[in-house]
This record gives sequence, C-alpha cells and structure tokens, in this order.
Amino acid sequence: MAEGRMVTTRLDVAAMEAAVADVANGAICSFVGQVRRQSRGREVSYLEYNAYVPMAEKMLLRIAQQAEEQWGCQVAIQHRIGRIELGEASVAVAVGSPHRAEAFAACRWCIDTLKETVPIWKKEVCPDGSFWIEGEEALKADNS
Amino acid sequence: MPTSGGLYKSLLAGKAIGCTAVQLFTSNPRQWNAATLKDTEIEAFQAAREQTGIPFAVAHDSYLINLAAPSAEVLERSQQAFRAELDRAEQLQLQWVVTHAGAHLNQGESEAMERLAESLRQILAATDAEGYRVGIALETTAGQGTGLGWRFEQLGQLLRDVGAHPRLGICLDTCHIFVAGYDLRDEAAYERTWAEFDQQIGLKNLKVIHANDAKKPLGSRVDRHEHIGKGEIGIEAFARLAADPRLQHAPIVIETPDAEIMHVVNLAKLKRLAAGEPLDMTIRVHFFGHYSDYFAGEPQSVTLPEGATVRDLADHLAKRDPRLTGLERSCRFAVDEEYANLDAILTEEATVAVLPPMSGG
Repeated sequence: MAEGRMVTTRLDVAAMEAAVADVANGAICSFVGQVRRQSRGREVSYLEYNAYVPMAEKMLLRIAQQAEEQWGCQVAIQHRIGRIELGEASVAVAVGSPHRAEAFAACRWCIDTLKETVPIWKKEVCPDGSFWIEGEEALKADNS
Repeated sequence: MPTSGGLYKSLLAGKAIGCTAVQLFTSNPRQWNAATLKDTEIEAFQAAREQTGIPFAVAHDSYLINLAAPSAEVLERSQQAFRAELDRAEQLQLQWVVTHAGAHLNQGESEAMERLAESLRQILAATDAEGYRVGIALETTAGQGTGLGWRFEQLGQLLRDVGAHPRLGICLDTCHIFVAGYDLRDEAAYERTWAEFDQQIGLKNLKVIHANDAKKPLGSRVDRHEHIGKGEIGIEAFARLAADPRLQHAPIVIETPDAEIMHVVNLAKLKRLAAGEPLDMTIRVHFFGHYSDYFAGEPQSVTLPEGATVRDLADHLAKRDPRLTGLERSCRFAVDEEYANLDAILTEEATVAVLPPMSGG
C-alpha cells in the first residue's frame, strides 16, 4: 500500500522502512534528506518548510503509487513541514522491492519527482535574515 | 423580506438591497390567529411605500390555510383566514396575495378541486362587492404530499372552473415546477415548459414569478429552495428567465435561503442576468513562497467575470498589485489542487494556488 504523507513531527525512517519490508522484498532502499549548515555560502540556523498541504499530500501519494506500479515495489514517502533543525530529516523515501536495481531506481525517481512537482517551499533562517528558496533564487523574507 | 419591527421594515430592507418588488407575510404564517392591522401600521407601510418607491408588493398567505380542506370546520376557518389575508393586503395596497392551492388529504382530489374553486368564487365575489383591488395569485406547488396545483393542467382547469377574473392569476415558482417535473435546464426544456404553461394556463395569467433554484432533482416533488444558479436548475435557466421578453409583465420575487446575507447576492445576480451582463465569480487565491508574505499567508478573494481563465487571473492580479506582475511566467498554477495551464477556465468558488519554483526535499 503506497504511502505519501506530510508530517509536522520528526520523521521515523525506521518505521517507514519497516512498512515496505515485506518478506517478498530482498532490497530496502531509503533516501533521507536532512538540513545542512551551509547553503549558497550562507550559514543556516534552521529551516522553515511551508507547503500547500492538501495538494502536496495528494501528490506525494500519487508519486508513491506511480513508482509502485512502474517498478513493482512498495513505497513510503514522508515530508516534514514547520521548523526543522540542522541535522534533522526533512524528507524520507523508503522503497522495498524483490531486487536492488528497482529499489534504487524507484527511490531516486521519487525524490527527483518530489522536488520538481510537490508544492513545498523552504525558508532558510540565517543569522542575517530569512530567505525563501524558489528554485535557484533566494528571496529575502518579510519576517527577517 | 423580513417584517420584524413592523411590516414597513420589509420595504426598507428591500430598498436597501435594490429591490423593485417585495413579498411579505402580513401575519405569522404558522399561526391561525392574526390581529387586524392598526392604523399606525398601515400608515407606516404607506409612508415607506412612498419613500422607497417600490412599485410592487405582494403578500404570501399563511401556510395553514387550505381552501380545499375536506373538513368543513377547517375549510371555514381557512376561508375566514384567507379573507383576513385579503383584507390586510387590501389595506396595505398590495397587488397580490400568493397562496398555495391547498391539499386534498386523500379525501378525493376532484372534490377538493371543487371546494377550492368554490372558495375562490365566494371570496372573489365578496371582495368584488367591496371594491377590492388586491388579487389572488395561485402558486404552482411542488407536488409534496396531497398538495394541489403542481400540474399546469390542474391550475388551468381551476382558472376555468372559477371563471376568468381580473383579480385571479398564477404565481409560478421555478423550484416548485422543477421538482414537480417541469424541466427548465436547457433551452429546449425551458421552451417546452413555457409552451405547456401557455397552453394549459396562459402566459397572460402569469402574475408573479418566484425565482428559486432547487436543492432536489427534477421530478423529486421535494420542495427545498437553493440560491440562484447553485442548485439542480442551474444558472442557464435563470439567465433565460430574467431576460425573457414574454415574462416581463410578471415581477420576480426570490425566496432563497439565508435572506439576511444572501438576498443581496441573489438579487444582484438576477439583475445582471436580466441586463444580459456576464456574471462575476469569486475565486480564492492562495499564494506560496515569498508571495505569501505579501498577504500574511492568507488566501485572497478575487472577483472575475464568468468564464475567466488562469491567464485572466494572472493579468488581474498584476493590475491589482504590481508586485504580482509576471506570475504567468514565474509560477505554476493549481486549480482545486491540480496543476492547470494558463488556458484553464475557472469556475465559481474555484481555489487557485500560485506556485513559485518549489524547494521541497
């Protein structure tokens, strides 16, 4: 059963992996995106993720379902929103499949597609102000 | 229109939202006992009529009245109460008292029709003798229970049975006839229904129109009014109705829900339809990324003409706020949570999201 969810609490990657670890699967492949200190030469204090939640949730589920169909695997995707500290996970994709090639391929496709199409935006909160990240651009946010 | 605080308040409330016709209850429609009008009340009403210049005012009678009642006691009570309705309406110089045709209560439909015709003959004769000008408008009904008057041929027959009379006419309620099985939705159906009305009843006998959309489907015989264009009948029928040259002699009254806040909306809609103007629609726009800062994260309400596209919305936003120039190039759009291209046509109450380049992950 494909899973795609937006959450406001810490991601539990182990639980997501367990959810796709059917005994028919010989491979479990996970991707975890975490908050890093440096961004485009700036020091980041923490990130603030915003989303168009109802649409984002719908799209995450759709991506997971599409991957399951295409690679014959099991997929769970979660994205966290709100304030996320350095070193904490913002996104996780877990794929279980009989063989590793499909697991790797599906996992990569899921995170790539998520970045392109799921309506989520991050705001980098730095010592010298906050910046909305919109594609290649970083735009000064109001509350900085 | 509401009458709390005095019958004349209905005129003031109507004037405030731009009515040229008002319908009111001259007593509590769920009680038998109605007090006679005080002179002060009549004077206040006439003064308000002059002040507002509202040319057309009608009463709706009490829901308890059944001029076809099988029980002699109820019939007599109904006739007396209806006469009192006419008395009050005449004193207030209203043009019509709209009444439902009564119910046969499973005691024989043709006998009930005879009693109804006889009630009307008597009341018309008695009030003729006193020089009354107020008329009786029999309303087309929804066909709920044992109610009479939901078939055009039945009302036509009734008019013939009573005998042609200048103070007797018909009030057509769009919701009632629709749930009674008369379709109005597309042009062919609309024309068929009016042709049948004309054949069975005669357009010249149409005196008042109640414009109400229907919550329940065609032929359901369940009477639940809905806002204009929001129900099973749909906006197309009301556009035809409001601009129909054959119906211009009959004023339109609305009996849609949430009168205090929505009468002004439904009235404005009918007026625009009557003038052949495009209707406006209200769209909610959610902004994301740095655009959300402009509006403190709150969705914005935008009014656009019906049929506007996503591109029209982008143009409109750019004109309204220069910071929103070029959204059609810099952003993607979602309509009701799905990606939509710039040519997508928006509909009333659509939710549009302005989506700058994303940065999830």
